[in-house]
Amino acid sequence: MDVNEAQLISRCQQGDQEALKEIFNQYHQKVYRIAYGVVRQREEALDIVQEVFIKLFRSIRQFQGKSRFYTYLYRMTMNTAIDHTRKMKKVPSFSMDEEEGFQLSDDAERRPDRILDHKELEARVKWAMDQLSPDQKAVLIFREVEGFSYQEIAEATGSSIGTVMSRLHYGRKKVQELLKDYVEGGR
Amino acid sequence: MWKGGGSVKSECSSISKLLEKYFDQEVTPKERSLVEGHLPDCPACRMALDSMQNLRILIKSPVEEAVEKENFPWVWEKIEKGIQRKERLGLWDFLKSWLDVTPLLKRKILIPAVAAAVILILITAPLLFKKTTSYPTLSVVEYVESETYNVMVYELETPQVTVIWLFEGPEEESSTS
Repeated sequence: MDVNEAQLISRCQQGDQEALKEIFNQYHQKVYRIAYGVVRQREEALDIVQEVFIKLFRSIRQFQGKSRFYTYLYRMTMNTAIDHTRKMKKVPSFSMDEEEGFQLSDDAERRPDRILDHKELEARVKWAMDQLSPDQKAVLIFREVEGFSYQEIAEATGSSIGTVMSRLHYGRKKVQELLKDYVEGGR
Repeated sequence: MWKGGGSVKSECSSISKLLEKYFDQEVTPKERSLVEGHLPDCPACRMALDSMQNLRILIKSPVEEAVEKENFPWVWEKIEKGIQRKERLGLWDFLKSWLDVTPLLKRKILIPAVAAAVILILITAPLLFKKTTSYPTLSVVEYVESETYNVMVYELETPQVTVIWLFEGPEEESSTS
């Protein structure tokens, strides 16, 4: 942690909202990326960003500098986002079934020459990601969206590097199988 | 072992174990050279790498697009408002916690607390409601004038006290009159 960041955190711990604003300016995009990566929906992701920074302001006194600040913040973001998805379990607008997988409403949509609409493809990715356990999802997003190293993921999730590698491997494998028409090499 | 790209040849199984770490840039320089020496001759491993890359694009690209489109200053305004709202709620919670007797009931300390309060009232009530001691009213019972001395007799209501006031010397009397 550099000196400026330490000072910002210290000011924020004393209730300085301007310091929080500087932290927000520095980290909001990364927080949004993690939130969006989990929920894959704009409004929900923005709600999570707000919730994270309000929560940070209220709980930052508990940050003692034992871990890096950004891993503390990203862990808080991931936990908030995963809690949010648990709360927001709602009926999807398209058919999703564990056994049948993602089903488009129109049979014609499955033609080989069909080029999937951007939104439909994103809906498929969201569905596939939602089949992962929260731990697998967290690791996959930290790696694929944020480009964290295994060590950084281990810090942010509070687990070992071996666990991170295992979750990443099985998470990738599962999503790859669910989206095999779109990810298999040589397409 | 990464199997996403289809069947992986058995002869490259040792390399395929490194493939995911190679893709994540977590290999040592020695491991890197091993993988890179193997890839030109192994379509299956190249395909597996392509699959991982495609999956990364599928997961990451919509996120990048969403970030580019977003305008964040108004988000900060909402956060500020949210903090103020929470602070107001915090003050209200503080007041409620003072007014709320539920924790007392939960902790079963209400009975001793009430008993202590009653004892305190019993002790302090006589002090609070005690009549202030006013000087007992004096009443002149009798006043006797004579050529030598004038005498005044006072009587207090409670306790029963009688005061006899003797005026000495005619000068004094004459000065008061």
